[in-house]
Amino acid sequence: MNFTTYEYTKSHEAFERAFKVIPSGIYGHQGPSEGCYIPQSAFPLFSSRAKGAHFWDLDGNDFIDYMCGYGPNVLGYCDPDVDSAALEQLKKENCVTIPSSIMVDFAELLVDTVACADWAFFAKNGNDVTSLAVITARAATHRKKIVFFNGYYHGVSPWTQKLDYPGILEEEVANNLYVDFNDYVALEKVFLDNKGEIAGLIAQPYMHGNFCDNFFPSDDYWTKVRKLCDDHQVVLIIDDVRAGFRLDLAGSDHYYGFKADLICFCKALANGYNVSALCGRESLKDVVSSISYTGSYWMSAVPFAAGIACINKMKELNTPKLFHKLGTKLTEGFAAAAGHNGFHLAVSGAPSLFYLRLTDDDSLMLHQKWVAECVKRGIFITSHHNHFINAALTDEDINKSIEIAEDAFHALKKIID
Amino acid sequence: MLIQKESKTLAYVNMFAVLGTLENLCDLVPEAKALLKDKKPISVGFAVKDGPSATLTFADEHCTMTEGCGNCMIKLPFSTCDKFNGLIDGTVTPIPSKGFTKISFLLKTFTPLTEILTRYLKPSKEDLQNSEFREISTKLTLYTAAAAISQVGNEDKSGKFSADHMPDGDIAIDIAEVMGVTVQVKNHRLITIKKKCETPRAAMTFANLDIAGKLLGGDVSSMACICNGSISMRGMLNMIDNMNRILDRVGQYLS
Repeated sequence: MNFTTYEYTKSHEAFERAFKVIPSGIYGHQGPSEGCYIPQSAFPLFSSRAKGAHFWDLDGNDFIDYMCGYGPNVLGYCDPDVDSAALEQLKKENCVTIPSSIMVDFAELLVDTVACADWAFFAKNGNDVTSLAVITARAATHRKKIVFFNGYYHGVSPWTQKLDYPGILEEEVANNLYVDFNDYVALEKVFLDNKGEIAGLIAQPYMHGNFCDNFFPSDDYWTKVRKLCDDHQVVLIIDDVRAGFRLDLAGSDHYYGFKADLICFCKALANGYNVSALCGRESLKDVVSSISYTGSYWMSAVPFAAGIACINKMKELNTPKLFHKLGTKLTEGFAAAAGHNGFHLAVSGAPSLFYLRLTDDDSLMLHQKWVAECVKRGIFITSHHNHFINAALTDEDINKSIEIAEDAFHALKKIID
Repeated sequence: MLIQKESKTLAYVNMFAVLGTLENLCDLVPEAKALLKDKKPISVGFAVKDGPSATLTFADEHCTMTEGCGNCMIKLPFSTCDKFNGLIDGTVTPIPSKGFTKISFLLKTFTPLTEILTRYLKPSKEDLQNSEFREISTKLTLYTAAAAISQVGNEDKSGKFSADHMPDGDIAIDIAEVMGVTVQVKNHRLITIKKKCETPRAAMTFANLDIAGKLLGGDVSSMACICNGSISMRGMLNMIDNMNRILDRVGQYLS
């Protein structure tokens, strides 16, 4: 089937306005630079509305969206149950001098849902809670150093950045230690070389880094890491901002059979309503109490209502199982479409968070061309980042996506022939 | 982000990026080429203790730079990197240890060549009004910056940190339909080749000379240019990302 390729006239007109008054026009991961729009002309720049698994850009082009707002869209855009709960709460109150008791309801639900959670602390973005987790680890241990796995992403605060990043001082990253994921021997050496100095280890549950195939922990890796942290009294922090609730509603540490000391959630927590949460063990609750950490909107009631509705609906739908099924069907279709056209598509990571890469060249250029052809035909995917499945994705969406992928491979063949 | 420049890294940048651009100056600027007309071949070596060493050979109206200075005709020794850096910023006058009879080349040809180079690499607003001058200035600045990327990536603490995150392969830095240079990465060591890259693993392309000039002059941000499409990139973008971090640091060394 041949699909018409999209034009983005209105998007580009809006971008011209944006470029005059906003740094880079669109900064950050949702813009052309960090979003790796290659080429920039193949991608829509501004959306106008969204529903279910779709969004429509300013030109009215319809996209089946596999980035899901980079994760928050977990049930489908404008989910009626979540939006209804949020609107009901909005009619009562939102951002008030003292918090609404719905905050307690939300904390109780998280404690009942997340295996390692004895308490919950709320903020707005993933970065807020990864930062709180690191502060907590330092406060609890009176130590400075934090262990990271190479290829990590834990937010944008200075401690998460690197020596060579603009505006980041050497002192701000001086206590960061780096080691490769799955290399237990190297990790053990880092712990021994820095004995008594490591406050925490922060990690995603598996490596879902950019520009490379995603990979899982080896069989007993997390069990050994958990023990190592216990032996050295190091706080084990799981950054579940990206994978949280897509692998396991009880937390990705639960999925891999261990218990984190602290676990960070954001994206899938409230289906697009802005709230993040740090959950943790009882032993760290008083440490968090001692930390000065707050924000103007952190106790807004509407996102709490949305979060409660979102978690309850995810439980009802058993979204991790659903996402596995949908992601598997979709990616198997993509890989088959590649094969029909003489290409080889590597699919890695969990099906609910699948990462794609054409292996027919080692530069990603071929892959970027295919991604551009897909986007121009109506499926929004990226060439550098893992994707996300949401519960509103239908079989019809998946079938159409596979047809678009196939048509994009036809176009790719013509480009390279 | 490091605030301080390292003297040794600066010496490598001054040697291979700044003096190294004499190669391109002699090819691109008629005034420079004229200084070499009818001159016998001659070579000038720069030996920096605990730092870089290289030889500039001037022959057939061209200039070439090679590493080391074992066979040079005029040798300029420097006891420290700071002393060599002083030569480049004009605060140190070198005394040859070899080639005393050819010293007039230094005074009558080499020094005027470096003065022309400075004019193009640190252009005045008036000179930039001339489109031909501006074009050559941008080309020479790109050659200098590209060469400096490798020196900073190999020597500077921050640069090495960035290079450690770069996979192997060739990066193309192109100005569309004008010119291209290559930065080759192997085992986290960088080499700049002043030729267009034929098989890049990653590529950064400036839409035109004007954009390249503005970016290299620090007048625009690479992120903003990528967003508005005036700079495009493709391939292993983590190579470009880390190269751009080195390029930021290059700006500190060349300022």
